[in-house]
Amino acid sequence: MATPEEIEALMARVALGDRAAFQSLYATTSAKLFGICLRVLSSRAEAEDALQEVFVKIWRNAGRYRVNGLSPMTWLITVARNHAIDRVRARRAENADLDVVNQMPDEAPGPETSAIQSSERARLIDCLDELPDGRARAVRLAYLQGETYADLAARFDVPLNTMRTWLRRSLLTLRECLSR
Amino acid sequence: MSGETDPEDDRVLAGEYALGLLSPEEARAFEERMSAEPALRELYAGWAEDLAALTDDVEEVAPPADMPARIETALFGAAPRRSLWQRLGLTWIIPGAVLASLLTFFVVSNDLLVLDGDVPPLRAEIAAQDDSLRVLAAYDADDGALRVTRDAGAAAPGRALELWLIAGQGAPVSLGVLPEARDGVLQVAPELAEKLPGATLAISDEPPGGSPTGAPTGDVLATGQVPSQGA
Repeated sequence: MATPEEIEALMARVALGDRAAFQSLYATTSAKLFGICLRVLSSRAEAEDALQEVFVKIWRNAGRYRVNGLSPMTWLITVARNHAIDRVRARRAENADLDVVNQMPDEAPGPETSAIQSSERARLIDCLDELPDGRARAVRLAYLQGETYADLAARFDVPLNTMRTWLRRSLLTLRECLSR
Repeated sequence: MSGETDPEDDRVLAGEYALGLLSPEEARAFEERMSAEPALRELYAGWAEDLAALTDDVEEVAPPADMPARIETALFGAAPRRSLWQRLGLTWIIPGAVLASLLTFFVVSNDLLVLDGDVPPLRAEIAAQDDSLRVLAAYDADDGALRVTRDAGAAAPGRALELWLIAGQGAPVSLGVLPEARDGVLQVAPELAEKLPGATLAISDEPPGGSPTGAPTGDVLATGQVPSQGA
């Protein structure tokens, strides 16, 4: 993986319409972003379509990542994640009867994957671990599967407002932990 | 949730927004506030950075080999005939139409939030025929800024490079002197910006500080075409 500075330099050139830089950016980031699309969508064909659309967005918006103060890699991840989430939600809306939600694989990462330990990640994981049972999982399900309050309430079998209160409280705890 | 500005609440609200848990109406209201409140933007950015760490253990998977071609086709149309099409700047016109059709699908998306603004930038390459001078320019209507990067070449010693806008049969209008640094931003007045789509951009050799007459006085070193719409 390229350094953040390299990615930032590529993004700056993509913003100016440099197609060679766009190809380099694709070469350095597409496997990561495709992995995210696959994780969210659990379908290769859909993940491929999503990835294509994500790079179209990246081309068009590369100049704007600074607007919200995100680092370049976070911006790329967020664009891919949000786009995949939109797709998965659209699919769920279409297949509401099929109860796709409950067929989603669970998110517990295997031990072999924890090899890549960035300090950022370690901090987030530590803070998630401080949450009461189930709450950390709800945060992961929202982020990586696009589950809504309604989905989560159904999954954890609690009333919607209870779910909302739980999660909001968890976010506050998480924020305090992360800011420590 | 109804318009409170309790800082503790905002921290949670920004997290809910980053996770995509807000209703479309709530999300829109949040975005509106975010565009006016830097502190809120910072809260959101903090969440986005922290939550992105949840993808650290997502396995990387190489996309199919034809993916770059698919993306290129979606953006630039089929089989670009590089030299001619690129020089004419026509590659930029086709994608506009393709994108417009894709966009109706995209807009459902909560990540316009990330992208803030939806007028695609106008981009042009202003180059000498022998590429001895090459400048990339991108105009973003959201902030009225024309971002320029000098890719190749430079002003002659003791001289300056000035950028001109030529719309249709009109006389060249100065967009400003290019910075000595490689990268820079020229602010474009709205009445000039209106004329950018489809216009020609040119760079001329001028005395320091730019043309004293308001019209190009030195050689035109490079030209380029602005597409008629952004992509």
